[in-house]
Amino acid sequence: MLVPVFTLKLNHKINPRMVAVGKYDGVHPCLTAATQIGKVFIHNPYSRGQRESALRMMQSNQDSDVSLLNINQTVSCLTSGVLNPQLGCDSLVVGTQTNLLAYDVFNNSDLFYKEIADGANATVLGNLGDISSPLAIIGGNCALQGFDHKGNDLFWTVTGDIVRSLALCDFDGDGKKELLVGSEDFDIRVFKEDEIVTEMTETETITTLCPMNGNRFGYALSNGTVGVYDRTVRYWRIKSKNYATSIHAFDLNSDGVRELITGWSNGKIDARSDRTGEVIFKDNFTSSIAGVVEGDYRMDGNPQLICCSVDGEVRGYLPSSQEMKGNMMDTSVEQELVRELSQKKQNLLLELRNYEENTKVELNGQMSEVDCQMGVIPANTQLQTTLSVNLGSDTQSCHVELTISTSNDSIIRAVLIFAEGIFEGESHVIHPSLQNLSTRIRVPILPPKDVPVDLHIKAFVGYKGSTQFHVFELTRQLPRFSMYAFCRPGSALEPKSFVKFTISERVQRVVMWLNQNFLLLGETEIQNAPFQICFTSLRGAGLLSMKMKASGEISVNTDDMDLAGDIIQSLASFLAIEDLQVEADFPTYFERLRKVLLKVDEYHSVHQKLTADMADRSNLIRSMLVQAEDARLLRDMKNMKKRYMELNDLNKDLINGYKICCNNHSELLGNLKEVNQAIQRAGRLRVGKPKTQVITACRDAIRNNNVNMLFRIMRIGMASS
Amino acid sequence: MDPLLQAWSYFRRRKFQLCSEVCSRILEETPCDQAAWSLKTRALTEMVYVDEIDVDQEGIAEMILDDNAIAQVARPGTSLKLPGTGQVGGPSPAVRPITQSGRPLTGFLRPSTQSGRPGTMEQAIRTPRTAHTARPITSASGRFVRLGTASMLTNPEGPFINLSRLNLAKYAKKPNLAKTLFEYIFHHENDVKNALDLAALATEYAQFKDWWWKVQLGKCYYRLGLYREAEKQFKSALCNQDMVDTFLYLAKVYTRLDQPITALNLFKQGLDRFPGEVNLLCGIARIQEEMNMTTATEYYKDVLKQDNTHMEALACIGSNHFYSDQPEIALRFYRRLLQMGVYNCQLFNNLGICCFYAQQYDMTLSSFERALSLAENDEETADVWYNLGHVAMGIGDVNLAYQCFKLTLANNNDYAEAYNNLAVLEMHKNNIEQARALLQTASSLAPHMYEPHYNFAALSNKVGDLQSSYIAAKKSEAAFPSHADTRQLIQQLKQHFAML
Repeated sequence: MLVPVFTLKLNHKINPRMVAVGKYDGVHPCLTAATQIGKVFIHNPYSRGQRESALRMMQSNQDSDVSLLNINQTVSCLTSGVLNPQLGCDSLVVGTQTNLLAYDVFNNSDLFYKEIADGANATVLGNLGDISSPLAIIGGNCALQGFDHKGNDLFWTVTGDIVRSLALCDFDGDGKKELLVGSEDFDIRVFKEDEIVTEMTETETITTLCPMNGNRFGYALSNGTVGVYDRTVRYWRIKSKNYATSIHAFDLNSDGVRELITGWSNGKIDARSDRTGEVIFKDNFTSSIAGVVEGDYRMDGNPQLICCSVDGEVRGYLPSSQEMKGNMMDTSVEQELVRELSQKKQNLLLELRNYEENTKVELNGQMSEVDCQMGVIPANTQLQTTLSVNLGSDTQSCHVELTISTSNDSIIRAVLIFAEGIFEGESHVIHPSLQNLSTRIRVPILPPKDVPVDLHIKAFVGYKGSTQFHVFELTRQLPRFSMYAFCRPGSALEPKSFVKFTISERVQRVVMWLNQNFLLLGETEIQNAPFQICFTSLRGAGLLSMKMKASGEISVNTDDMDLAGDIIQSLASFLAIEDLQVEADFPTYFERLRKVLLKVDEYHSVHQKLTADMADRSNLIRSMLVQAEDARLLRDMKNMKKRYMELNDLNKDLINGYKICCNNHSELLGNLKEVNQAIQRAGRLRVGKPKTQVITACRDAIRNNNVNMLFRIMRIGMASS
Repeated sequence: MDPLLQAWSYFRRRKFQLCSEVCSRILEETPCDQAAWSLKTRALTEMVYVDEIDVDQEGIAEMILDDNAIAQVARPGTSLKLPGTGQVGGPSPAVRPITQSGRPLTGFLRPSTQSGRPGTMEQAIRTPRTAHTARPITSASGRFVRLGTASMLTNPEGPFINLSRLNLAKYAKKPNLAKTLFEYIFHHENDVKNALDLAALATEYAQFKDWWWKVQLGKCYYRLGLYREAEKQFKSALCNQDMVDTFLYLAKVYTRLDQPITALNLFKQGLDRFPGEVNLLCGIARIQEEMNMTTATEYYKDVLKQDNTHMEALACIGSNHFYSDQPEIALRFYRRLLQMGVYNCQLFNNLGICCFYAQQYDMTLSSFERALSLAENDEETADVWYNLGHVAMGIGDVNLAYQCFKLTLANNNDYAEAYNNLAVLEMHKNNIEQARALLQTASSLAPHMYEPHYNFAALSNKVGDLQSSYIAAKKSEAAFPSHADTRQLIQQLKQHFAML
């Protein structure tokens, strides 16, 4: 059993996920965390001796270890590390909803202070790819930015949704760090500098990411899932009703491999083996965990695992010594093993009895009432599944229909479907009432996003009145674009928006892709180009039509820019196309974007006026307050009352002004998000190098406030005409 | 002569009132004459113009109510809030007296040298009443408001330009008019909000490439107390064009944010671009002086190498030499000031005391006589009498010293140092009660001085009032932690208490 080597009670609340350890003077690690009302505290227990000589520092001992930094805005993320290698010590990086501050704590001096329109929700510090200087990378509203120690932004790109978590990890094993980005659209994206390498879809918002051994990394979702990925493959995951507030990789059992340490919202902390997810250590705090970090806090050369709770309780754990052999749980391993084995035996015995019964039936050659109850079914029973598009009726909206049926007269008692991201809580059980039992069950499926999903189906098959059932297990893949129903070309007006690109591939390959990704059900037999194929979206997003000419030119007509992007990405990965330049036109979307850009300009100018107004008023309030206090000191009660009345009125004004300012800001944020998303969408229409080109060109256009240029880039994918 | 040329000539000769009158006449005839209009705004601005960089003082409200500094308790030596004594090796308060803020007296009076940071609002409001400083309530009120209203009074028929009816967007597109108009709004009308609007429109019209507008935007933000925005504008202006002014403004922003080290680094960057620039060197020296760093003198010397008539540098080096026990050298610097034509009470006062300590007795009294004859107000007279008291003590004439200190108090009855010295004289005459009363007055007037506290403690100890002795000794220790006598006294008292 592992016990903490030190425990501290800091009388400050700690905001979740905003804890870091930094050596601000280059030697002593200090615990740094964001606390309430826009403050950051630094716990520095080493300077106690020196402080006493300082002038006018009359503080109690406990408090003198903690120094507070005023940020004056709500802190949204915080980290520390080496930003300027020449400085020889760590810098503190604090992000708020509007600004980013890099601060040299030791010298009480800013490295830089930047206005960040997109906000900073997550931050990470370190080297990225081939960029030589360390970067402070922040993730905000669909945008990622990286700053060096002078405040130059050397890295900028966009991503699909609001960024919630960032991590640097050597993902592909090339010795350079890649950036992992977890966002609110449930995707983990991997950026190699500003190029997306891979996307992995999860089932909820990714709240935390952390690099582990080699190219593995851990992740945590807002629904309580914690797991480990090895490159793009998920190694293991577990789910809890509490959610993980912080994860960290630390070698707690001294076996040379780092374990995943998870801090939970209920105050539990556990360490899991990175291979199996097996718990090797756990401990409990009285309140929710705020952060898990590591640092050599006792300055004896051994790094400790430091866990902080939101109430300011801090515990440090040393890795277990070799003698303990990694055995940190209370219960002995033997007991556990015996329990496990006896359970296995029980299961096997049950199975054996079942087989015995079955052979008995086969010997008899016919079924009796008893057999029926035992649930014996013909050996050749098969479970068939079909996916089809149901265009819906008056009572039901259109959906994809999964039909499960047996090949004979046996009935399906219940079906258990497990699929990520489709059902609430990930699994779905259909359990028809006794009267309605039949050989066929239909399951409506409404995938919210266009991603291929594996449906793991478990069906209970038997007869009416059976008490025991056979379980059929099978897996069926839901094609990526299952929510699009085939329809005859020309049945409706074609959308005006289109994307056009040329590929040098045989038609058959394209048709193969079509068959794999759409629910076509053999209705089309296209052999050669040119051909045209039409779909209607079940989500009500209108018509999708694809044409291919003999020259290999493919055009996709749809009003949905996301869908066009998805189609291009899917097709490119299927045909293994590395670079693809695309011509695109989305007149309605572009028109909307133009309006949004105009609004952004408006909000910016209004914002400036509002800030000046507020500052002016607060100046007035300050002078009023001093005057009122002056009157009080002079015992001029009449004047004092008058002043305070005025102050009250002014204060009300100021609060109203603040509300207006807030509204303005939130709308600005919404619009900026839309702009970033537009750039991201324009990027997704291209593949490989043209994609990064489009994104950087779009950014330049926005920087120069050149709206027409922006649209031209989105259309033809290049800056120059 | 062409009236416009005449107006221009008046302007060049700094006869702004005449210039504005001539311009008004031109404008009456041709209301749309842009040249005359522009010249009049310039003349009106010049009449009330004050240097934004040097003449700027943090108001009471900013001092008490704002948290612009990031670190609340920074490491000693990295903040202007806590002058780190001992740590950087400045002179001890036993040799060089300190101001209320805990900094050694400087040789030159400028707004920022009085920037004490009182603990409470009451103290903050009371201090300017008693200590003869006119600290404004906020930096956006005070002098600036007074200027704005005063200029309005000169035009009984109403202001020259009616700001509320001005179409700022139109003027922003005329760069030749916009700049003078901006200065008029900013300095003469003191309407920062409108000035900011104009500057924002103009900088947009200049496609964010004109450094001048960026600096003006920064100035507006600075005046409004939005230091971070000001920082951004100044930095952006520096990217367009290196200007000494911009460096000085930016350094002011960092001083307000309580980041002296950043400010010093910035000055050094500025010196790389403008080697030997006097204002930048002087800026470094001021900040170092405020932080009690001995290297400040080196920078003042560098200033003198570039500009050997720089009064601030001369005065600061002089006072530094005086307090580091080299009155002869100090005397040389003060003589230099005299040569340059400075002829006032303070200088002769300094010369007198330097002469006395440099044993040039023949000059001492005549200097003080000159100082007394030049004194403009009671405070200055009090200073001279106080120094004469020191001279009298030095020659052993206790009666004369007593009278000098009495005269000091007659001229300025808030003179804590004089109360303290009088108390010591009373102690010698064994008038214990009188001495105690004087010491109590001194310590209530100047809680930052350790001497009255210590004297009170020593006196109380002598008469056996150990409790009040201990309390006073503790206060003395807080004001000057490394004072050996105080420590010894506390040690002694603790032993006494332990024996009881």
